[in-house]
Amino acid sequence: MGIVIAVISGKGGVGKTTATANLGLGIGLNGKKCVVVDFDIGQRNLDMILGLENRVVYDMVQVMDEEATVKQALIKSKVSENLFFLAASQSKDKSVLKSDKVQKLINSLKKDFDFVILDAPAGIESGYEHTIEFADAAIVVVNPEVSSIRDADRAIGILDSKSDKVKNGEDVAKYLIINRIVADMVESGEMLKSDDILEILNIKLLGKVPEDKGVIDASNQGKPVILDKKSIAGQAYVRISGRLCGQQVDMKDIEISDSGLFQKIVGMFK
Amino acid sequence: MKNNQYSVKVFETTINDEEQFIAFFDSNHALFQDHLIVIHGDLSPRIEEYLEFRSLKYIHNVALPKGRSRKALEEELLLRERECAISMQIAEAKLEKLSTRLQNNLMVMDTMVRSGRELSIDGDLLLLNRVNSGATINISGNLIITKLVEGAIRCNGNFMLLTASPKANIIFHGVEVESELLENKLNRVELKNNEIIITPVLEKEISWA
Repeated sequence: MGIVIAVISGKGGVGKTTATANLGLGIGLNGKKCVVVDFDIGQRNLDMILGLENRVVYDMVQVMDEEATVKQALIKSKVSENLFFLAASQSKDKSVLKSDKVQKLINSLKKDFDFVILDAPAGIESGYEHTIEFADAAIVVVNPEVSSIRDADRAIGILDSKSDKVKNGEDVAKYLIINRIVADMVESGEMLKSDDILEILNIKLLGKVPEDKGVIDASNQGKPVILDKKSIAGQAYVRISGRLCGQQVDMKDIEISDSGLFQKIVGMFK
Repeated sequence: MKNNQYSVKVFETTINDEEQFIAFFDSNHALFQDHLIVIHGDLSPRIEEYLEFRSLKYIHNVALPKGRSRKALEEELLLRERECAISMQIAEAKLEKLSTRLQNNLMVMDTMVRSGRELSIDGDLLLLNRVNSGATINISGNLIITKLVEGAIRCNGNFMLLTASPKANIIFHGVEVESELLENKLNRVELKNNEIIITPVLEKEISWA
């Protein structure tokens, strides 16, 4: 039996889909069987970021309506044989989701995979509620800015009241990824510190991802940034997926810029 | 019911010697015909007979209410005023203590109040966690929050104890309290004689960095 993780954020554009693609690939490269499911029906993006645009034949809605089997709809990644992808429907909208069908789909995926990662849509509407309904855990992606944090706070509040696990008296594990950190701005006080974010959201920190221009290019090319060994964001996703697979990986403090450290050393010799 | 009020002349006497008593009344009984005789001491049948013979009205061993002088009345009035002032002071002193101003239905919560949540509480609340930006608490009673408040508070109780960030929107009895005044570690906001009074309970920690 696998674990079902919903990747949520509340606000759009903070990097949910990028994080989903990179973590899925990271888990696959660690040798665990993983499936990523795009729940953003009507606005699917995950296929492009994974570089699997042209392979989509059947989508999730067709599987739920039993027009296709799960096996037919699953798309294998070009990079890792352990990673599979289930596309969202681009022509339908979020109203096609129904609780019993979602539960059936997730239960069938849980049997075959170690990790089932659900990419939630932005916002807190019915599409979001169906994504979190049957999740065992949630990864909350935020940017270090106040609007993103407030929206994430709201999304966590809904998770804590509407998830199936909570209704049965259990707890949904919640982990935080802080995305797009700029070390210089944190040092100068222009950007929120991760300690402050953790204080507000009060959930466990899974990892911090620095701002990296390479992410956009990687998405455009359909090669997730985790494959780029030189990219600092890619290295961060390697560490985070290692943690998800149960490895002990120390938190790297990316909030101190290298130039700052260098300048301090220079300052000592002045 | 028919009522009448009279003032009656009273002659009060104590019997020590019956002979002397009778001798006194033999010579003076005419003076006491419209008096009420109040007798203290032993009343023998002989004296009773004598008083009836003289047809005098009498009562035996009764303490009559006595009229007081104007000065005594004034003194009593002054004393009463003083007692009243003291009891008012005691009542005010009791009101000063927050504990006596606690209302009923105290609710204790240890969950974060996340964005989008709206709590409406009738009674008092002790909250041991944060109130995040975008959350609202409406409360009719008193409010104590031990962690930072960044959301909105509408309080109509006697007092609040809290710390607010500049983002917070705090309204106490319909008046907005500037959150700059609430930046100490713990602040007491209370209503006294229709005035909102804010006093720091714990001072702001000074960071030396």
